[in-house]
Parts: sequence; structure tokens; C-alpha cells
Amino acid sequence: MKKMLGVLFVLLVALGAAVAADRPLPKADLTIIERTEFNTLDPQRMSYIHDNRLSYAIYETLVRWDTYGDFGILPGLAQSWEVADGGVTYTFHLDPKGKWSNGDPVRASDFVFAWRRAMLPDTAADYSSLFFTIKGAEALFDWRSDQLEAYALLPERDRTAGAARELWDQTLAHANETVGMSAPDDHTLVVTLERPTAYFLDLCAFSPFNPVHPPTIERFTFLDRASGRIQQDYQWTKPRNIVCNGPYKPKSWKYKREMYLVRNPQFRDPSIGYADTIRIIPINDPNTSVLSYETGAGDWTTDVTVSYLADMLEQKKESERDNIHAFSTFGTYFWSFNCRPRLGDGRDNPFYDPAVRRAFTMAVNKQEIVDKVKRSGEKPAQVFVPRGSIKGFESPEGLHFDPVRAKQELESAGWIDRNGDGVPENAKGEPFPVVSMLYSTGSYHADIALAMGRMWKKHLGVEVSLDAKELKIYKDMLKKKDYMVARGGWFGDYGDPTTFLDLHKTGDGNNDRGYSDPKFDAMLERAANEVDAEQRLRVLEEAERYTMEETLPILPIWSYNYYYMYKPPLDKDGNPNLGGLRGISMHPRLVQYLWLLDVVDEEDVREAQRAKLAAGAEESAR
Amino acid sequence: MMGMVVRRLIQLPIILLVIYTVTFALAWALPGEAVVNDEGRQPPAAVLDAIERQYDLDSPYRFYYRYLYRVTGLRFVVEKMKGAEGNPGPYVFNLGPSLKYEDWNVNEIIGASLPVSVVLGLSAMIIAVGIGVGAGVLGALKPNSWLDLSTLLVALIGISLPSFVIGTVLLIVFPVWLGWGSVGGWGEPGQIIWPALTLSLPFAAYIARLTRMGMIDVLHSDYIRTARAKGVPEHGVILKHALKNAFLPVLSYLGPATAFAMTGSFVVEMVFNVPGMGQHFVDAVRGKDLFMIMGVTLIFSAMLVIFNLIVDVMYRWVDPRID
Repeated sequence: MKKMLGVLFVLLVALGAAVAADRPLPKADLTIIERTEFNTLDPQRMSYIHDNRLSYAIYETLVRWDTYGDFGILPGLAQSWEVADGGVTYTFHLDPKGKWSNGDPVRASDFVFAWRRAMLPDTAADYSSLFFTIKGAEALFDWRSDQLEAYALLPERDRTAGAARELWDQTLAHANETVGMSAPDDHTLVVTLERPTAYFLDLCAFSPFNPVHPPTIERFTFLDRASGRIQQDYQWTKPRNIVCNGPYKPKSWKYKREMYLVRNPQFRDPSIGYADTIRIIPINDPNTSVLSYETGAGDWTTDVTVSYLADMLEQKKESERDNIHAFSTFGTYFWSFNCRPRLGDGRDNPFYDPAVRRAFTMAVNKQEIVDKVKRSGEKPAQVFVPRGSIKGFESPEGLHFDPVRAKQELESAGWIDRNGDGVPENAKGEPFPVVSMLYSTGSYHADIALAMGRMWKKHLGVEVSLDAKELKIYKDMLKKKDYMVARGGWFGDYGDPTTFLDLHKTGDGNNDRGYSDPKFDAMLERAANEVDAEQRLRVLEEAERYTMEETLPILPIWSYNYYYMYKPPLDKDGNPNLGGLRGISMHPRLVQYLWLLDVVDEEDVREAQRAKLAAGAEESAR
Repeated sequence: MMGMVVRRLIQLPIILLVIYTVTFALAWALPGEAVVNDEGRQPPAAVLDAIERQYDLDSPYRFYYRYLYRVTGLRFVVEKMKGAEGNPGPYVFNLGPSLKYEDWNVNEIIGASLPVSVVLGLSAMIIAVGIGVGAGVLGALKPNSWLDLSTLLVALIGISLPSFVIGTVLLIVFPVWLGWGSVGGWGEPGQIIWPALTLSLPFAAYIARLTRMGMIDVLHSDYIRTARAKGVPEHGVILKHALKNAFLPVLSYLGPATAFAMTGSFVVEMVFNVPGMGQHFVDAVRGKDLFMIMGVTLIFSAMLVIFNLIVDVMYRWVDPRID
């Protein structure tokens, strides 16, 4: 027995020591509860919303958005810029005070270096295509891809370290010669575009366009002899290695535990940023993230997706809760129609016919879905580009719920109930195939599918079956176009309609519908070549109208909302609310610069009280 | 005893190789592509192909051998021998990159989450032994009394209720309503106690059953009667003489139970947002993160073998008659 107690004692001491050795850092000025761990801190490889949000705190790019206004462009690291040659040449003048966190100056050539990374297949950037607006970028991507492919076919003995190095040197030389980027001096960046791109400055504010510190990257880069590719060891993004140029820098990053940011003492403008320290805790489980907010673990929960969200919003309506907030945002929830002539199993696809797609669209009562199924305040959508999100872009009307017209459209496509059983048949007498609805498990999609299926059966007479799949399998089936209708969603990246409309382009990597329409492609091409910005938007409006009223590759259901939890900065009487969060942007693009956020502290409350007292004294003196 | 330890340690790599082969075959057969983003935009197709080639995801044979080459430390040794020409990398046993969290490799992820799981699992086992042995002894003293029946009932609840129910109830009652401890972080004792308690209950219940049965058996044996006859006080009889033998079945259960508590805590980790290793089992499979699947399975298997070995050694130490 004594032996056992001894073992137990040793275990307890070890446990105590382990806990004591791994103490968390002190509470930060601002604590954020994120939905999940960051994927990467490499700006050129980012594409997730929470990664982007972090990047704006630790990097600074040329320009930034006016998040409290109309999302226009404000100067960032570039204090001024000129546009010349009919909108093709941009010359940026960088702030000479710009510094990396290790004290090195931020040079114009750092941008050339970073953007070139994004253009090369070696980096595997999700957003390479955004850089293809720059002259020669797409050609460089293809050139390097071909070069690597040829190299991979060489016999093993020819693929030496020297050969790979030579290939890389050629690539650099080729890029310098052909790509429209140059840095005539340390503070001047000249960019030449393929053609005038109205939204280029908007792109420049986006996280993949952030600069990186070339010596740091080069230290963690090596050439892979077997493939000839430049490969990176992503250890460079760890706090002990990373060099960044934003108002904050990471002090500690513990996997799935926390990201801890402190002020970057080298930042060019020390007045920027309210919080001295920022702590970000990733919490995957939606319920746990809400509960930990309730216990005071954070000041702001960035993504509330609990199943009882509708009840929380109801509580807010009845003034029982003030910490949940809904914002309409830059995304659309939709269902995809497979637009290929044949289905995955070789059968004829009834949704190949646009009239059928129109019929199915008009048979869905979106208002009812939003009010009775989703129940969290989204606005029904008749169009793909969220209404009012882009300055100067007038959204078309789209197709509204109209069961009578829906039935007519289906009949015009040849699907008529010929034998009186309620199910429409084609001319050969074959009934409309059972409509299989594909979605991924673990969210509200099943409820939406059930509701839509019921509407289709009621208004069109078709039979419906639900096909729930794990996320990976769903994604795979979508890519292979092995479905009839499937749930989908899209968030825009930059302030231009093409960030949505490009999805319908023939062969686009995100065109999961297999939609291919020469007329639509020609419209996008026309818009791309249109020099006049106003006229260009008119063409894009027509493209949106064409797809949302005539051809319907997707069936838009609602404009996405985002749900935040934070204490409002002012209480009911308009006084500062201790622990409230100031500075949240409400623009639909919903970009939050962390350095603009400020938690109301005791000092703010006291100051407001003093001001109130002073005002009261003045009042009574009068 | 040394012979047994050496024999078991020699078996370990063979067991791991078999487990690796089976896991690899199953994981490779998972549908979907590992390099495709679950939501949002995709890089161009040429880029996806290049990534697949880089990670040997285009050939199961190449993947199987290259992984083995790295994970066994062979590659490290070979590259080290090349001197300046070679590139051994930072790890001897290289478990590869994480395909989902691009800035992390599997060595780092396991290195960060295993200590958390060990702390959580050990805390849970200590609580479980405390509750389980206490309840078991109490029950055995007066079988079928109300005390025995109520501990039985509690044990039954502990075994039957899933931990997401117990966890959520504990979470809402203690940190949320009463403000004891907090949720969402890791490191403070107030953040460790609730997940540890949740995780311990099913084990505590089982240990209580084992202890109770063992005690009832032992209390009827001759040497206990002798102890009582020679005038040993009752608490001495129970704690010193009876429990020692009644504890043996508990001890043999503790090995696999501890390994399981350290890695099978997926639900508890999710409910309390504990950054441990259990979640990776599920997440990795869901995301077809091949390197992660292999990494956690191999580490877990090795732990299971080693914990069983430790228990066998302790068994012999506590009860020298066994050999």
C-alpha cells in the first residue's frame, strides 16, 4: 500500500509541476474568441476570413479600406499614388518611416518580392489569380509551371541541386524582364497592369497583397532537387522567427490554445492601436465559444453559429440580452444546379435546361425559409452580388416566388403531368427524375433542403430525396459534378461584382456547377475590356441580370449574416459600458481592423462621469 | 522481469509497423482530396497537382515508403551522413506536415497537444481512482445496504451518461452559473478540474465496480479472518490487508484506461475547448489529413503498448508472487 501511495504522490507532484510550468500569459487588453485556429500567417497563402483579419494587425500593405465609411481607399504604407496610361500604370510612394519589426526599412522591392511569390506555382497560393491583373503575371505562372513539368520528366541523374538552382535563376530573370512590377528606388513602387482594372486599389488593400520580409523568407526557403520547386519551411511564421511590419507582432502562438499579440515597437506610427496586447483564443465548438464568452473569457466572439442562435436573437428583441449582434455581409447562401447535359451516372440531366432551373427557382418561397426555418434575420436574396454592397452597382430584380409561373416554365420545358398522377412527365412519358439534394452534414442545410423539397413537391409535383454527406465527400462530389442540386455559398473578396460573377465563368476553378455559357463569358470579357468604369458596371449589371433572371446556374436563398457577441460600447442611457467593445465596422464587407478596436475600461467610464458632472455643474451655474 | 521488458520493447516496432500498414490502407481509401480547401476558394489545378506530388499524395507506394523512411529516422541518419550536402531537417523521427494547418507540422502539433492530454488524462485517472476506490470500499463493507445501492446508482449514471451531457451540465452549473473556474482556455487549475472530472466519471464508475467485487471476495478469505482474530482494528484490516489484494484487478485496468484517458478524450476536449490530442483523431480523419492520421495513431499505439508494460511491471512490484 505504501508503495502505491508513493507512486500516487510522485504523480501528483509531477502533475503540479507540469501545470505550474505551463501557465498562460496574463490577460490581454483585448481578448478575441475566434472560430478556429489560424491556417497560416503567410499573407500570400491566406484565404480564410480569420487569417485575413490577423494579417491586417501584423502586416501593413499599401492602402487600406475606410471601414467606417463607404469602403473607399485610404493611404496605408503608401502615402500617395498616381495612376497613369489610362489606368494601367500605378506608381506608389511609400512612407520612408516604414520599418520591419527587426528594424529593417520596408522597401518597395519587398512588395515586388512578396507579389512575385504569389504569382509562382511554387507558393501554392489560393489567390494567385488576383495577381493575374498585373502584366505578365499569368504568363509567368504558366511559364514556371511548364518549366517545372519539363524538369520533373528529366531522368533522376539530371535533376541535381545545380540544375534546380539554374532553373530558379532563370525564373527570377524571366520575372524581372516580363512582369510589370519594379522598384526604381526604396520608396517607389511601379506596377503595370494587363489592362485597366477598376478595383486594383481595392485588391491592394487585401491581405495577400501584404509585403513579407525577404531575408526571413529566404532563410527558410530551399530548392527541392526532385521537383525543382522552391519550397518553404513555414517555421518562419512562428513568433521566434517572424518579421512583420504591422502595428502588432506575435509574441506567442500555441497551437489551438492562443495567439498573443503585442505592439510592434518599430511600427511607423506609434499612435495607431488602442490595445497594448491582444489575445486570440480559437474555440471550435460553437456552444463552447458562446459559453466561454458568457463566463467572461473574451471581449468579442467573432462567429456565433450555435443552433440556438434564433433564440438568442429573440432574447435581444425582448431586451433580455444586448450582447448578440447581426450584420449583413458580403456573401450569399445558394443552392447549385448541375448545369452539365448529363448527370454523374450518365442519365440525362433535367437541370441542363434553363427553363427547368427558372421553374425550380420560382417555386421556392425564400421569405418563408428565412422566417420559419433559418429564423435568424437574414434577408432573402434574388441576386448573387449582395444588394447595396458595391458602390455604383445596381442589382437587378431577379426572380421572385411565383408558383404559377414556375409551373408554366416547367411545362414550357416539356415537363407536363400527362397521366394525372401529379408528377410531370416528358414527351416520352418518363416522369421527372427524383431530385437528389446534396448537402454536407453538421449544419442547418438539412432543414433548408427539407423545406425546399416540400415546396418543389407542392408547386411542381416532383419527388425529392435528401443526400447528406460528410464535408470532404460532399466537396468531392461537387468537384466531380456528381449531383443534381447541392448547397453552396460564396463570400466576395474585393469590391467589385466580378468577385461573385467570375464563379459562372466557363472553367473557373470555383465553378462547381459546370455552367458554361458563351454569351455570359462574352459579357465578362466585354466588361474586362471596358475602359469607362461606369459603362463597365452597366455591363456587369447585365451579366448579373442574365444569370439571375434567365439562366440561373444557382438559386440564391439569402444574403449571409454574420453574428458577433460583444457588449455594446454604450449602455441604454448612452453612458460608456464597462467592458463594451468600441470600433466594430458595420459595412457589409465586414473587415475589422484589430487596431481600431477598443475595450471600454474604468478610465473611460470615469472620464464620462467627470464630463457629465462638469456639464451638470455648468448647467446649474447657468 | 528484465527479460519481459526487453521482449516487449523488441515487439514494439513490429506492432507499430503492422498498425501503420493497416492505418495507411484505411486512410488512403478515405474519400475526398486532402489538399482541397473545405470552404472558399481553391488554388489553380496546376498548383493542387504540384502539392500532391510534393507530399507523395499521387502514389500510395511512394507515400508508404517515403513516410516509413522519414518516420523511422532513417532519412535523418542518411542525410546526416551526407554532411554539408544533406538536409536532415529538424526532427529525427519526422512525422510530416499537417495538410490542414499549413504552418505546423505533426511533430509540433503532437508536441503541443500531448502534454495537455497527459495532464488531463492523469488528473482524470487520479480523480477516478480516488472516487472509484472510495465508493467501491464503502459499497463492499455493507453489501446491498443503501450506501452500496446509492454508489451503484452513481456508478451506473457515470457509465451510461455520455460525457458531452455530463460535461455540458458541469460547464453550465459550475463556471457559467456559479463562476467557479473558467472555460475556453487551458493552464489554470480552474480550467483543468472540470474536464478532468468529466473525463474521470466513467473510469471511476468502472473502478468502483472492480473494487467492490474484489473487496467482497477478499473480505471472505481466511487471512482476513485471521487478521481480525489476532485483533487488528477494522480499518487496518480493510486498508492494510484487504484493499491491497482487492486493488490488483484495478491496477491491471489502469494501464489501458490511462492511455485511453490521455487520447480518447475527444468529446471532453470539444466541450471544454481543451487543446489536447484526442480531437486530432477525429479532425484528421474528417479532413483526410494523412500525416496527422498516421502520427496520432502511431503515438497512441506506442503509448498503449508502453502503458501496458508499465502496469505489468508494477503488478510484479506490488505482488512479488506473480512472475
